[in-house]
Amino acid sequence: MSLRLLSVDPSDRGSQRCRLGPGLMSALGLGLGSPLLVSVPGGSCLCTAWPRADLAEGFLQMDLKCSSPNLIFYPPSQLYLDPGQLTPVPCPKLKHVKITVVVQSVDFKKHTPPRLVQELVKDMLKGVYVHNKHVINLMDFDTEIRYVVIESIDLESSSAGLITSKTGLEITGIQTVRHYWSQLQGHHTVPVGGLDEVSASLREMLQLPLLYPATLNSLGVSCPRGVLLQGPPGVGKTLLVRKVVGEVGASLVVVRGPEVVGSHPGESEEKLRAVFERARSAAEESPCVLFLDELDSLCPKRTGSSAPENRLVAQLLTLMDGMNQSDRFLIIGATNRPDSLDPALRRPGRFDREVIIGAPTLQQRKAILSVLSARMPVSPSVDMAELAQRTTGYVGADLSALCREAAMHAIRENSKSSGEQVVGMQHFQEALKAVGPSCLRGSLGKTELCPLSWDQIGGLDEVKLKLKQSIEWPMLYPEAFVRLGLCRPRGVLLYGPPGCAKTTLVKAAAGSTHCAFLSVGGADLYSPYVGDSEKALAQLFRQARACAPCILFLDEIDSLIGSRSNSQTPNSVQTRLLSVLLNEMDGIGLKTLERRGTEKILQAEGAEENSTQKQLECQEVCNKEVMVVAATNRPDCLDSALLRPGRLDQIIYVPPPDHQARLCILRVCTQSMPVCADVCLEELATKTELYSGADLENLCKEAALLALQEENMEASTIKHTYFLRSLGHMRPSLTAQQIQSYQKHPR
Amino acid sequence: MSKPALLSLHQALRKCFQNLENNQKVWESVLAECSPLMVSLGNLAEQSRALSNTQISNTPLRDFPDLEERLRFKLQLSTDTVLGKLNVNMSSLQSVRDSISNQVSAVVHLYEQNADILDLLTVTERSATGPSVSDMMGWLHDAERHFRQQFLRRKTVLQTLRPDDLSLLESAPKRWKSLESPSAGDHIRDTLCKVHFFIESQ
Repeated sequence: MSLRLLSVDPSDRGSQRCRLGPGLMSALGLGLGSPLLVSVPGGSCLCTAWPRADLAEGFLQMDLKCSSPNLIFYPPSQLYLDPGQLTPVPCPKLKHVKITVVVQSVDFKKHTPPRLVQELVKDMLKGVYVHNKHVINLMDFDTEIRYVVIESIDLESSSAGLITSKTGLEITGIQTVRHYWSQLQGHHTVPVGGLDEVSASLREMLQLPLLYPATLNSLGVSCPRGVLLQGPPGVGKTLLVRKVVGEVGASLVVVRGPEVVGSHPGESEEKLRAVFERARSAAEESPCVLFLDELDSLCPKRTGSSAPENRLVAQLLTLMDGMNQSDRFLIIGATNRPDSLDPALRRPGRFDREVIIGAPTLQQRKAILSVLSARMPVSPSVDMAELAQRTTGYVGADLSALCREAAMHAIRENSKSSGEQVVGMQHFQEALKAVGPSCLRGSLGKTELCPLSWDQIGGLDEVKLKLKQSIEWPMLYPEAFVRLGLCRPRGVLLYGPPGCAKTTLVKAAAGSTHCAFLSVGGADLYSPYVGDSEKALAQLFRQARACAPCILFLDEIDSLIGSRSNSQTPNSVQTRLLSVLLNEMDGIGLKTLERRGTEKILQAEGAEENSTQKQLECQEVCNKEVMVVAATNRPDCLDSALLRPGRLDQIIYVPPPDHQARLCILRVCTQSMPVCADVCLEELATKTELYSGADLENLCKEAALLALQEENMEASTIKHTYFLRSLGHMRPSLTAQQIQSYQKHPR
Repeated sequence: MSKPALLSLHQALRKCFQNLENNQKVWESVLAECSPLMVSLGNLAEQSRALSNTQISNTPLRDFPDLEERLRFKLQLSTDTVLGKLNVNMSSLQSVRDSISNQVSAVVHLYEQNADILDLLTVTERSATGPSVSDMMGWLHDAERHFRQQFLRRKTVLQTLRPDDLSLLESAPKRWKSLESPSAGDHIRDTLCKVHFFIESQ
């Protein structure tokens, strides 16, 4: 027999009664008003048992006067309880109780003498059954005293007892409701992966002044009180602040830009002052963090003379300066556009520290993924390390979207075949297609690739090997590279006659690894405005670095980027683009904002790292750069500075196919065609001297069309004669002279 | 065998309800005494406010020496007097509350002593003229809780007054009045009506 939990009768509110059927009461051996512990999901509640007025069985109504802290926020409702969840508890009279009083307002806390609070609480608690660590709800008395938290009771044998007029009450502390709630909610923080370093430093700033006030005083310094968090959107700036605040148990005052700004002159400033006042009063009870989210919208650069934001910025500056030593709260600002902040904000004394949270590195992504999937039923086949490798450029928000999407796929699939809900690797793979890295969203060169395997390219084995060496190997065997002190080439130039599969090779290379792949052409870069093209190229590199390892493909680089030596106009767009490219490929360093991840965290006690960990680390060391892959069929037009080692180190000649290669190409091309048994590819390969790969593909197409033309639409096979006939019509696109010119080394 | 126990419990309940009826009357009369006092408290607060708003040196009364201090002293003296009277009333309210509490706990004690003999069937048994023991004990608890709540709220209003905060003093009569809950008083009267036959059945 289960009991249905109903909401409490209004007349019973505040009486600590639990109404249940008399039959159940006598079954449990309860008398009128006997204490009874009801456990519900999320906590328990101590009540006194009373028979229902209508004496009906099967229902339960309880007043949550004394319950676990959780139940204050999530009162149980619509539940069915088992009679086993009701346990009678012995409640001896208590001699001594330690309590914390929770009051409504700071004013009451400040102005009420402790003696009076003690007296009032004593009156309120008389005759109440209390349970250790429970919260007594005193709302029904309608005074400023809202809750009493039972910290400890003097009994060893039992965890519950009755407070009488002789019970000694010791008030260990008085808190405000706001603080108490924020403390309670602090226990339900979401875990954050991969930001240990930053959160440690934030925690230190919050806790140091509290733990060692004397030390700081003796040193004569004040702890830093302003932190500016900056980083791309979605890396978890806001989440981090909430997590740290929850861990430290500090209270959080959040300022959102639009909430502060008012329509009347002076209104916004007043609201801002009120916020600071609130933080100050909260800081009197516990460490407090004033969090200014999206600071760039609140404090843009001051321009002109009468913009209303100017006054707001000035107000914030004076408020931050006006914080004196005794105000023990920390200001944290978060922004993803630090450049648009007013420069006056970014000096020590205001925001003392600037913490840059970059796009997560491989290790951090792995940490984030394992945190995200901790609560998902992930099948053991899912390899988080591999998933982390495949999600280059994904920030925390992207990864959580990825997990959500994978879970959705799993649900969709399982709803068809009601199996157990497990998220497998195939679901993650599906999700990877749907969720892209947000730092590449709206990027110039983002391209959809249809995956292409190396086998789909005939011949060219030597070139393939070289490409694999420079692109695949650093990803697959990082330890070997680190061991030999090798690093991955900065750039690869593919040159050779047109139509010889340069572009296709790059496609295959990109498909074989899981790096991000960006490709740009002239149409993306050129713009009528002076300086715009250069900016676009620089931006492209920035984005590519954000999601490294990344392949940046510049097709037809000769026309895209000019050469300084033989150009007529020395100051044309091409030369300017060239200078940008040279700088980006081998520049002096990175901007601070582009920092990836954080510094390495010190391993406590020299903990052993396992081998996969090491491999991941090596991989990160090897593959943090952007690799530029360029293709051209006019290598002589390139600037010599571009071709030196350190920029395009690997220069690979893609030769026109020889006899063997042509045979391979023909085989690949005719794979999907129903060729007649009499077709001799050997013979065709011999006859197609100087034909490029594209020519050969065209030849097969022509032959097939000819077959359709001759045998109407019923043609089922392509005969050898058709190949020979279409070969008769065609001319090779390459000439011996042309090939000769490529043989010379371009450097 | 449970008969004598039940009878003695009935007897105790009867006594308790009679006591409750008397105390309820006392309570109401004390409260009636309090309300003019609260009004005069509000008045005094208003006068103090008026005194702080006037600049006596700008009025023809400036020739009187130390007028402001004297007036303030007088006002504070009368405020003290009023508060003292209220305090006396509060202690009679407290005695009402205590007497009810004691009675109720005596009944509960009696029940607990006999809890083994009185099974639930007996205590939930109702008749045409008398409610069940459990109902009556519940009502007693309710009444006791009502008096405790009322007393505590009124005590809080008076105890949190501060001489330096005039607005708190001014709003005190209003808050005092808002504490009156006719429905709760009616509830107790209802209860007394319900047990009327039971009390008479002696």
